[in-house]
Amino acid sequence: MASNNRVQIILNSFLEVSSVDPDDARRRRLLNIILATTGIISLLLALATLFIIVAKITQYQDSIFILIASFVSLFGLIIIYVINRYKSGTLAINLFLFLLMIVITLADDPIRLVNGRSLYLFILPIIIAGVLLGSKAAFIFYGLSSIEIIILTRYVELEPTESMIPIISFLLPTTIIWLSARSLEQALRDLRTINTDLDKLVAERTHALAESLTREHIEAGRNQAILNSIADGVVVFNADNISILVNPALSQLTETPVKNMTGIALYEFVQTGELSPASRGTIIGLIEHPEKIEAGVRVEWGKKTLSVSIARVQDTTINENIGTVAVFRDVTREAELEKMKNTFVAIVSHELRTPLNAIMGHVEMLKESIFGSINEKQSAVLERIMVNTRRLLAMVGDLLDEAQMKAGKLSIQKQPVVTTSLLENLHNTMDKIAKDKGLYLTDEFDPNMPEIITGDSKRLQQILVNLVSNSVKFTEKGGIHIRILRSDKDHWTIEVIDTGSGIPDQEIPRIFETFLQFESFTTRQHGGFGLGLSIVKQLVELMNSEITVKSELDKGSTFTVTLPL
Amino acid sequence: MEHIAFVIEDDEDLAGIFTEALIASGFQVETIRDGAIAQQRIKEASPEMIILDMHLPHVDGAALLKQIRTEEHLKETRVLITTADALQGQMYRDLADTVLIKPVSFALLRDLTSRYKRK
Repeated sequence: MASNNRVQIILNSFLEVSSVDPDDARRRRLLNIILATTGIISLLLALATLFIIVAKITQYQDSIFILIASFVSLFGLIIIYVINRYKSGTLAINLFLFLLMIVITLADDPIRLVNGRSLYLFILPIIIAGVLLGSKAAFIFYGLSSIEIIILTRYVELEPTESMIPIISFLLPTTIIWLSARSLEQALRDLRTINTDLDKLVAERTHALAESLTREHIEAGRNQAILNSIADGVVVFNADNISILVNPALSQLTETPVKNMTGIALYEFVQTGELSPASRGTIIGLIEHPEKIEAGVRVEWGKKTLSVSIARVQDTTINENIGTVAVFRDVTREAELEKMKNTFVAIVSHELRTPLNAIMGHVEMLKESIFGSINEKQSAVLERIMVNTRRLLAMVGDLLDEAQMKAGKLSIQKQPVVTTSLLENLHNTMDKIAKDKGLYLTDEFDPNMPEIITGDSKRLQQILVNLVSNSVKFTEKGGIHIRILRSDKDHWTIEVIDTGSGIPDQEIPRIFETFLQFESFTTRQHGGFGLGLSIVKQLVELMNSEITVKSELDKGSTFTVTLPL
Repeated sequence: MEHIAFVIEDDEDLAGIFTEALIASGFQVETIRDGAIAQQRIKEASPEMIILDMHLPHVDGAALLKQIRTEEHLKETRVLITTADALQGQMYRDLADTVLIKPVSFALLRDLTSRYKRK
């Protein structure tokens, strides 16, 4: 095998010609092949002739002639080979063809040439011209050969018509050569066009690809820059809940390097840093169920309190969820402030209540005539003191409740509650206030209501009192009607119906906001902090219940609380 | 018959109100405003009734309550605890005869204690 390769290499180095034009190279290579072949034939001929002469087989004169001819050919071939090797273009080919024509002409004496088989040797230049020079060259050399034949015929004084047969019969092979050469050239041309087109296409595509890659790179670079500059921690999970992207801010918040948090499953992710077990569960729950939207959920991560928001990532083209994004905001400062505020409010409330209770106690003692009897006027005055002190106490209590609820520190008790006591206590608290304003305070108790239910009597009372108190505030004539009913198998309702001024439709959602008293009324008229309804709403929510409002301006409002049994 | 009551309360106003309430009920009242003195006195005396504030400074109200209940000579004593914390009240309602959630009304204390008075 190796020797085969070596032979091939040596052969190639003789035959190959380097040229800028591939056609030129092809032609010259072909010529080299022909030259080599012809050269070998000439050499063999020379050797054979030499042998014949030496062996005295035939006549000396004939053989000498052939010998000289073959040596001359060989010499010519070598010169043409050298020319072909170093000169591009068709010079070598034309020389060869010229030489060929001469050889054919001199191969035999003119008479024998014109009459004999040797005439058909003129086919050779036609074929070789067609192959080496091109399809048209075939016809050119056909022409040349024909002219030469005519000249020779004239020279040997034969009828010109004698030469017609060979000339006409040459037409067929010439045409064949012409057609073959043409189709070969066409095929080569087509191939070259296709190659060029392909090259162009490849260049275009490569360019486009390079452009889009650059664009993507810039985009990615931009996106990365955006992500890196976001102050909040961001993590993106793919559809299999593997973290695929973590920004530097999150790495800082959790004091864990980005690479340790990227490419890991959710359950592993929540093990990084010092997440409390409860927070771990929260995060897992949120990410596995992002459809349950909860705003501002807080988790404890290490020493920091973080507020986390989750959103699904949707591929809008295929309308599929491809992942989840979680954003963590450091709210440690806010959480601390809130805690401080709530502690402050709790302490202040407690401190405010103590002297108020002392006032109440002392006034009570006076009223009870412990230190001497009291006349009616004095009793009335003491009563006013007590009423106002109670109001103050109520306001402080509301403040404390609000702070506790906001801190999530208010718990609803589950104790047996005597349902009828709710209305009783309400009347005890609100009867006088309603009467003083000239309003009625009626009630309705559903016989289907169970006597005892489970709940927080203090807070249920608070809901009732706050609703009625609110209605009294905004009712000038008529009164308040309270209904306690069993609405269905699992629920009961508290309804507070007033004949007050009503609430405009657009204000209805806002009435449960804290500190709100809407503009149409003078705030001073109604006093208090405006916390009453806000507390009712929060209590209702803590009890997993609902409150709804129906209202008609100048007709009145109905507040309905639906509670589970 | 003498009815002795201890009012163990550090707040001046409240101590005054509770004492007056018990006097109005017919008790002889010893008002103790210091936790250490209270610990001392309950070892020495056997009052019929004790009004105990669970929020005494420097004293664990719960410990004091337990101590009262373990003392042999206080077996017959009625103990009414006062607290501002409803949950705490719930926790100790077995050890105390009555739990009073502050603010405690004067009239309520007077009427309640007069009902508890030994006949």
